[in-house]
Amino acid sequence: MPVAISVDAVEVSENLRHKRGYSFPFLCDPKAEVIRRYQLLHPRGGPDGTDISRPAEFLIDRSGTVRWENFTEDIRVRPRAEELLAASRSIR
Amino acid sequence: MADTTVRKRTFAPWMGLLLTVLGALSNGLPFTGFPAAPVPWISLLLSLIGSVVVLFGLWQAFGQPTVYKGKLSSALATGFSLLFLAGTIFSFWSARHIPRESATAPQVGQRVPDFTLPDSTGHSVSLTQLFSGSASKEPPKALLLVFYRGYW
Repeated sequence: MPVAISVDAVEVSENLRHKRGYSFPFLCDPKAEVIRRYQLLHPRGGPDGTDISRPAEFLIDRSGTVRWENFTEDIRVRPRAEELLAASRSIR
Repeated sequence: MADTTVRKRTFAPWMGLLLTVLGALSNGLPFTGFPAAPVPWISLLLSLIGSVVVLFGLWQAFGQPTVYKGKLSSALATGFSLLFLAGTIFSFWSARHIPRESATAPQVGQRVPDFTLPDSTGHSVSLTQLFSGSASKEPPKALLLVFYRGYW
């Protein structure tokens, strides 16, 4: 199950989730506390010089262990679905 | 020598401008389902090829004025293509101007820290709760944490 996390406020996240028709949870971290704890902070990366998250994806199993991860070097380049699917098949 | 030869018009600056415009537009390719990975390079390459073609046209118009006409139009095309080239280079730079992967970020094989955050309906949920599922849903075998930039 995907879980989206960003600094967006509750209403903004709900708006995006609704607009795209996603049923998975969107989590809101406006103070970037969890983002900081995961070492993913992009200081002043937001439109008004706000701190945001750098793009990153982690596939974690039930023990909380990272099984696959992706850190893009370019915000225009998204992760490859094949890679993610291959990693998720190894989890049972 | 009588200057009665008909001077040719050079189309190179306009071809170059077209290429730099296409280079800028190619940034939108990921939205069409095109694989995103090559897009930044396609965009940069198109713009750079376009610039070379523009320069060639400038050389024709200004370097060989007896053969080619169109100084004004080639200067105009050069100006516009410079704008698009600058835009493409700026977007190339800014899209990659993100912090490098931190060595202290969770790595494959490591456990991620648990956390609690409000979801988009305002209810607090923890990672543990997300793994435990709900009355209507089976507990998931895995979670894909997608950290995104926000402000969409």
